[in-house]
Amino acid sequence: MGNSLSVEGLHAGYGAVKVLSGIDMSVRHGETAALLGTNGNGKSTLLKCLTGQIRPSKGRITATIDGQTHDLSALSTEAIVALGIALVPEGRRLFPKLTVDENLTLGAMPKKARAGMEERRAFCFEAFPRLKERRRQLAGSMSGGEQQMLAFGRALMSAPKILLVDEPSVGLAPILVARMIDKIAELKAALGLTVLMAEQNFNQAIRIADRGYVLVHGEIAHAAEDAASLKANDVVRRLYLGVD
Amino acid sequence: MSMELFGNALLSGLLLGGFYAAVAVGITIAFGMLDIVNIAHPAFIMLGAFVAYWLNVEYGLDPLLAALVAAPFAYIAGRGLYRYYHGVFERRSEDSLQGLAFFFGLLFVVEVSLLLVFGVDYRFVSAPYIGPSLTFGDYSVPYRMLVPFLAGLGVVALIALYLGRTFTGRAILAVSQDPGALRLVGGNPVKIKEAAFGLSIATAMLAGALLVIIQPIEPSMGREFIGRAFAICVLGGMTSLLGTVVAGAILGVAEAMTTTYVGAAWGPAVSFGLLLITLAVRPSGIFGR
Ligand SMILES: Nc1ncnc2c1ncn2[C@@H]1O[C@H](COP(=O)(O)OP(=O)(O)OP(=O)(O)O)[C@@H](O)[C@H]1O
Ligand SMILES: [Mg+2]
Repeated sequence: MGNSLSVEGLHAGYGAVKVLSGIDMSVRHGETAALLGTNGNGKSTLLKCLTGQIRPSKGRITATIDGQTHDLSALSTEAIVALGIALVPEGRRLFPKLTVDENLTLGAMPKKARAGMEERRAFCFEAFPRLKERRRQLAGSMSGGEQQMLAFGRALMSAPKILLVDEPSVGLAPILVARMIDKIAELKAALGLTVLMAEQNFNQAIRIADRGYVLVHGEIAHAAEDAASLKANDVVRRLYLGVD
Repeated sequence: MSMELFGNALLSGLLLGGFYAAVAVGITIAFGMLDIVNIAHPAFIMLGAFVAYWLNVEYGLDPLLAALVAAPFAYIAGRGLYRYYHGVFERRSEDSLQGLAFFFGLLFVVEVSLLLVFGVDYRFVSAPYIGPSLTFGDYSVPYRMLVPFLAGLGVVALIALYLGRTFTGRAILAVSQDPGALRLVGGNPVKIKEAAFGLSIATAMLAGALLVIIQPIEPSMGREFIGRAFAICVLGGMTSLLGTVVAGAILGVAEAMTTTYVGAAWGPAVSFGLLLITLAVRPSGIFGR
């Protein structure tokens, strides 16, 4: 039983541009795994592979959902979302000319997600009261922080088992970053999610991460089994803490 | 100025507006919501008009019933047309100029085909509501205007319900804003656009049937509706169905007033005048988001 992700020997890029080479990683049932790396190291590219937005040139991606294993590398993005894997994407990717409510409703587009739609909307409004206040407002006219909340809400509307999050801290004020990271832990606990979160904000990410991977130039430079070993690692010290 | 003259012009303009809404709703879907510049839409309206005419003359079918019978076929043909357009132009991002040329070509192919089959003579249908009028006091409303008005508004209302209440409908509203994001919520943008374009072409079938109820038809008449349909779409705010109805009514009344007080020759200039004023004063249209 359970919900997990596994990546083996993954190579991917954009046409002639090779970005990821030989990625091995996994996310186990019920944990929060952090995917750390500074700009341009391939975090978003990996999340795009996991959601079928780009096809790997080599390697295997499998997901286990409710104990059943699926090969993701052949599936379309729609089919992956329908399985129960949702992405809060880089740049939020909301529908700017639709209202908050309409964006949330579209989140429940997968057939399996339609039944409990109103319960999940209520859950989103409870988790992010601001969204309820703004439910008739156009998504494009909201602040960056509100848009990030909506991106989370929309992803949750598809009733995911595995939640992928691409840099939730980007563009948020420092105080909001801490709150957003706490919120992810809270949502995960409330919904029993398995989470993979890409982040550059190392200190914030390791507060809630059970494990982590450090991505450097498209390779896993360090795989850490716990937050402490992540912090102690040389690669991390060089990348983030400015220690040589 | 006589009140009666003004009232009759206003009334016939409003009735015309309901028909214009049916003419423009397909453009609002294709151009406004899907970013597909289907300038052949009026030619498909003419095709619809001749299909209704043919079913009426050959099989004695009521034009509205003919539209209902033919609409599913138009829907399927529209889906097929979108698949072709997508495969040849849109997928390769060659949809702006080459796509426009494609629809321009289609406009002529349809028009010439109709010309070859039906000739240049005006054709008309018969139905119980063509001829009599509803009169009250100084005002009289011909049923051949009233029926298209009601049918036009009814169709737009049904489409509004479909777009607002179903998942496919909501996805149609979202798809051109970010097709990739639609995939991320579990929708397939190509299938969504295909369904929407099928719907758009089905409305052309219906608008054609309404046209042949209102007046006799000949194949090249469609051209008169290119400017009108796009003007209504832009004036209404591109994606708004309520905007399409209101803009249709505005254009209908403006044309009726112009015809009454200035002269029928100025009628066709009205839509372009309205379009220019809209673009200058409020480019996002009346109900633009
Ligand atoms: N569409 C694309 N076409 C070509 N190259 C791309 C494309 N998208 C990303 N890249 C390149 O791939 C590399 C990895 O990019 P990616 O977006 O995965 O990094 P990231 O770790 O998410 O960075 P950031 O923290 O800035 O979001 C970069 O060198 C980038 O220039
Ligand atoms: Mg990124």
